[in-house]
Amino acid sequence: MIKIKKANRITVFDCVVAALLVLVAIVTLYPFYFVLVRSFNEGTASGNTYFWPARFTFDNYATFFRDSKWLGGLWMSILRTVVGTVTGVFFTCIVAYAMSFPQLAYRRLYMTLIVISMYFSGGIIPYYVLLRSLGLFNSFWVYIIPSALSAFFIMVGISFFREIPADLYDSAKVDGANDLIVFTRIVLPVSKPFLATIALFIGVNHWNSWFDAAFYVNDASLKTLSSMMMELINRNQAAYMTIGSAAARANSTVTTFSIQTAAMVVSVAPIICVYPFLQQYFVKGLLIGSVKG
Amino acid sequence: MAKKKSAFRKQLLLQMFALAGMLYLLVFNYIPMAGIVMAFKNYSIQMGISGIFTSEWVGFRYFKEFFNSINFYAIFRNTVALSVLKLLFSFPVPILFALLLNETRSLKLKKFSQTVSYLPHFISWVIVAGLAYSFFSSSGVINSMLQAMGLTDKPLEFLTKSTNFWPMAVFLDVWKDMGWWAIIFLAAITGVDPTLYEAASLDGAGRMKKMWHITLPAIRGTITVVLILALGNLFGGGLSGSNFEQSYFLGNTMNFEHSEILQTHVFRTGMVNSRFAYATAVGLIQSCVSLALIFISNFAARRLSDASLF
Repeated sequence: MIKIKKANRITVFDCVVAALLVLVAIVTLYPFYFVLVRSFNEGTASGNTYFWPARFTFDNYATFFRDSKWLGGLWMSILRTVVGTVTGVFFTCIVAYAMSFPQLAYRRLYMTLIVISMYFSGGIIPYYVLLRSLGLFNSFWVYIIPSALSAFFIMVGISFFREIPADLYDSAKVDGANDLIVFTRIVLPVSKPFLATIALFIGVNHWNSWFDAAFYVNDASLKTLSSMMMELINRNQAAYMTIGSAAARANSTVTTFSIQTAAMVVSVAPIICVYPFLQQYFVKGLLIGSVKG
Repeated sequence: MAKKKSAFRKQLLLQMFALAGMLYLLVFNYIPMAGIVMAFKNYSIQMGISGIFTSEWVGFRYFKEFFNSINFYAIFRNTVALSVLKLLFSFPVPILFALLLNETRSLKLKKFSQTVSYLPHFISWVIVAGLAYSFFSSSGVINSMLQAMGLTDKPLEFLTKSTNFWPMAVFLDVWKDMGWWAIIFLAAITGVDPTLYEAASLDGAGRMKKMWHITLPAIRGTITVVLILALGNLFGGGLSGSNFEQSYFLGNTMNFEHSEILQTHVFRTGMVNSRFAYATAVGLIQSCVSLALIFISNFAARRLSDASLF
């Protein structure tokens, strides 16, 4: 497993390092694998299910995808992720673009307002009263509008837009292009890597978001997958404490726990799918951008 | 001023972009900040948003009520303990993990282990809580395995015994975000001049010595900046800011004594029991501590080293 240069011996130190790294990988991955196994296992089948289903079945997924509630939640999660990402990327992009010009009038004032908002907030209660007064409660827009702009991504955007060579603007201006044309025809096309990066991160945030759906929305038809997961886990929690989980229906191999595992796989799958794109390059760029701010 | 105004007109589109952002911040950040006055007022939600400003002043009544409540000691102790424990573990572990990744000679193992390690960062706490229950509950994987191996007769009460809440919270926090924060430390380590290591080898330094005398000092700036970030959000749960989610999902009537924190108290009294003024007051304590910590740590960092956030 360990490749070494010919001159070097494998020392005990190397073995310990390799063993620890393997351990980290196992401890990280195994929980996901276990849930995957259980989602393909008959909920009522007992026995050794640590590495392979005891009795293989698609019933859990069939139940999940036939249930109009779960399907509604899935659809709502997809909808909020798509609409929220488009809105978030567009809004963050225009603000960061404007802020990236050093000669922007009142720039210092704007920057101060952004930085203060990063480190201080009114807290959750005044925010809750605000959303209520704005009539955002029990509305789809509570998912989109309050999270449309993030100070953090503005900072990342500013450092990205600063990298665009000024010649590009100047030559377009000479050709008579106005600011709007420069922005849409020149700036946006060269910013694709940045747009893709923040789209991924904003999208993952929307997909995972549960608090707004759980507490700002009562309407069952507006609930998202993650808030439904949260309710199920809270309900199952009581069952875990005592006897494990009981069968949801008679004559069925599906239990509340086995359906929970299927729902978990459905929630995690999209993240695994975009994971290769959240590659180190993106991750590094964002993290370092954030720290250098 | 006149100069600025003419510049403003020339930059009409850019100014519209920037002002749209400022309007957003005004509504969603600055209006709630003004709403903090609720903490000092006799306010109820029926009064609407204008009632925040017209209701009667009550001074520090709600602060006193919180300080005198029977749960105050436990809530404050839990908040401080969880936050400090996370600072002690969740902050250094990513550094150790980055050093470990840097020390391995197998590039494949390094890449694999690192790529896998930051997956949990992108998974929501809802799912992590679900995983925690399936692994640590009395009928969960860990207990089943321990019983099968005959290591214990009775299931261990990871999630129900009150005193187990702190170690569980810290473990899950490290599990979820260790890989994510290791990325930035590893990036800093990669930037260290390799000739330094060669010179040290010629002087007979071993790998531990090189780690201690070259790698760690070289990434001091990065460590300082990340430490300020962690301190600024100390009561929120440090780097991952996980305190609320953990106490909300893993807290229950059995471990309440060790899991209830400022944030869950704000949530329960404010959003569940509609005591908005009281909850705002409790929330304000946390905001003030955070703000003070970030200024103090930033000031200290600027004095002690050249790294600082602002």
